[in-house]
Amino acid sequence: MAAGIHRRTALLHPLSFLPREAISGFGRDRPRRQGIVMKRLLSSVTDGSGFDIGLVLLPLAFLFVLSGLPLVYNVVMSFQEVDMFSLGSFWRPFVGFKNYVDLFSQPETRTILLNTALFVSASIAGQFLIGFGLALFFWMNFPGASWLRGLFLVSWVMPGLVVGAIWNWILSGDFGVLNFFLREMGVIEGNIFWRSDPHYSLWAVIIANIWLGTSFNMILLSVGLSGIPKDLYEAAELDGANSLQRFFTITLPMMRSTIGAIIALGLIFTLQQFDLFAGITSGGPNNASNVTQYWAWDLSFRQYDFAKGATISVIMIVFVMLASVVYVRSTRHEVRG
Amino acid sequence: MSDTFRNRLMVGVALALAAIYLFPLYWMYITALKTGSAMFATPPKFLPSEPQWSIYSYVWESRNMGRYLWNSLVIALGAVSLITVLGVGCAYVLARYRNVWVDVGLFLILMLQVLPASLMVTPIFVGFSQFGLLDMPRLAVILAIAAKSMPFFVVLVRATFMSVPMELEEAALVDGNSRIGAFFNIVLPLARNGILVSAILIFMQAFGEFVYSKSLIQAVELQPASVGLNSFMGPNTNEWNNIMAYATIYVTPILAAFVLLQRRIVSGLTSGALK
Repeated sequence: MAAGIHRRTALLHPLSFLPREAISGFGRDRPRRQGIVMKRLLSSVTDGSGFDIGLVLLPLAFLFVLSGLPLVYNVVMSFQEVDMFSLGSFWRPFVGFKNYVDLFSQPETRTILLNTALFVSASIAGQFLIGFGLALFFWMNFPGASWLRGLFLVSWVMPGLVVGAIWNWILSGDFGVLNFFLREMGVIEGNIFWRSDPHYSLWAVIIANIWLGTSFNMILLSVGLSGIPKDLYEAAELDGANSLQRFFTITLPMMRSTIGAIIALGLIFTLQQFDLFAGITSGGPNNASNVTQYWAWDLSFRQYDFAKGATISVIMIVFVMLASVVYVRSTRHEVRG
Repeated sequence: MSDTFRNRLMVGVALALAAIYLFPLYWMYITALKTGSAMFATPPKFLPSEPQWSIYSYVWESRNMGRYLWNSLVIALGAVSLITVLGVGCAYVLARYRNVWVDVGLFLILMLQVLPASLMVTPIFVGFSQFGLLDMPRLAVILAIAAKSMPFFVVLVRATFMSVPMELEEAALVDGNSRIGAFFNIVLPLARNGILVSAILIFMQAFGEFVYSKSLIQAVELQPASVGLNSFMGPNTNEWNNIMAYATIYVTPILAAFVLLQRRIVSGLTSGALK
């Protein structure tokens, strides 16, 4: 009886363009209402596919207006001449690829692109390695392990600018506590002027960013580790594999997709990092610690060259989207506990 | 080696690791309590000899922190309400069906999640100024944050809805509930905790948001606490105890909320981020 109703409603169902299991899984076991068009429309919103479509379309429309349109507008502006006078007008002169050509002929562009590459790779490497080490440590069972592990995440919920302020003070040249520790351990002789020495200023932000992101890496890696079946290790132990062999033959291969997702996420998050630059070096001295995502903002809001700011944004957004395709691909079709 | 000894050793090492990792936070709290000269002492003192408790009320008054925090609160609450109202339904539908359209929607949402705010702020600023939205700068920031954070919220809440058994909703429909009735009476109450945790995470993010507020809000009396902290830190500042006191007042409520809700937040975060 129930199956018969199922089949009938599935055939008449307004979402019948959906695969069958989507509908039958949803159990439309109510008799359909008959009535005039208006009533059906109304009942569709309260009780049919209109309900679902309305719930999805409203937020998607919102996102389209406030994220999609700005994306398009960004591309348009990168081909225009935009200054303080033409800011308010909708019709600005188009200049073709002039902004892109100008951008790449500027002397600082090379430095800033190299800085971005260094910032991203050093941050991801640091966050991942320290995070993986901590995750492996907290994976061993002991009382309070999960609570203590969760505590690490405070670095991630703090406002980025506060993290920047704290590290700005820790990294200060004459009175910074980091220099004190390094001197005591005999690593350095004299003080390092982290924020004002062009050789170190980018590393100042990298250190702060590694601190900020390590906990998030650790938590996600812990989730991946807890998904590995324990009997694999028991079997390997019976076969006489030592802990190093177990790590390389079981842990790493089983974690491959998690690691892929985390590295892609790390790339996405590092390219979003802005607050630490604002809080520690402001990109200085002389662009020594400048990266593209700070530079784009600096060009628009400090130098009022909105067209150039938009141009860098377009280049970087294309890059970020490529990274996120990798992320989405590596998280799909995954079954995790 | 007995089990209790091993456990004690592990807890000891874990505490030491946590202490090293959380040292920057400790340093913030300690620096705030130091006097101007103790702050610059070499070697630095790791326990303040004469804690300056009055610094909090001094910084609160002199930096006008009440106003800044109020603006942060308005912006964060506005953004969270907007995101929750729009995002919950979206997450529900994306969790209930499995087909090509859902995959496309999910893919678009994941792509929007990754757009860096500092790159999106240029077109948003120019566009908002053309439509006169910058006359209401806090609303402008709320809209910008909502667009930025909603995808993340949808991904997290979708994971919650996935864990609500579909049979319960089907039973409600058989019993004569409409879709709306079943949604509000059955599904939403069951997903309440997950939604709440996601909303708290979004609130924490919005409460510390900086790029949009810095760029879109010109009037000082409408700026949030992050912008206030930024203008407090000049390039050659030496008021580090005051700045750290400001930071302490700013983050302590967030940290307290996090430590209280830690378990839920961590599990909510991990269930959404990798699915």
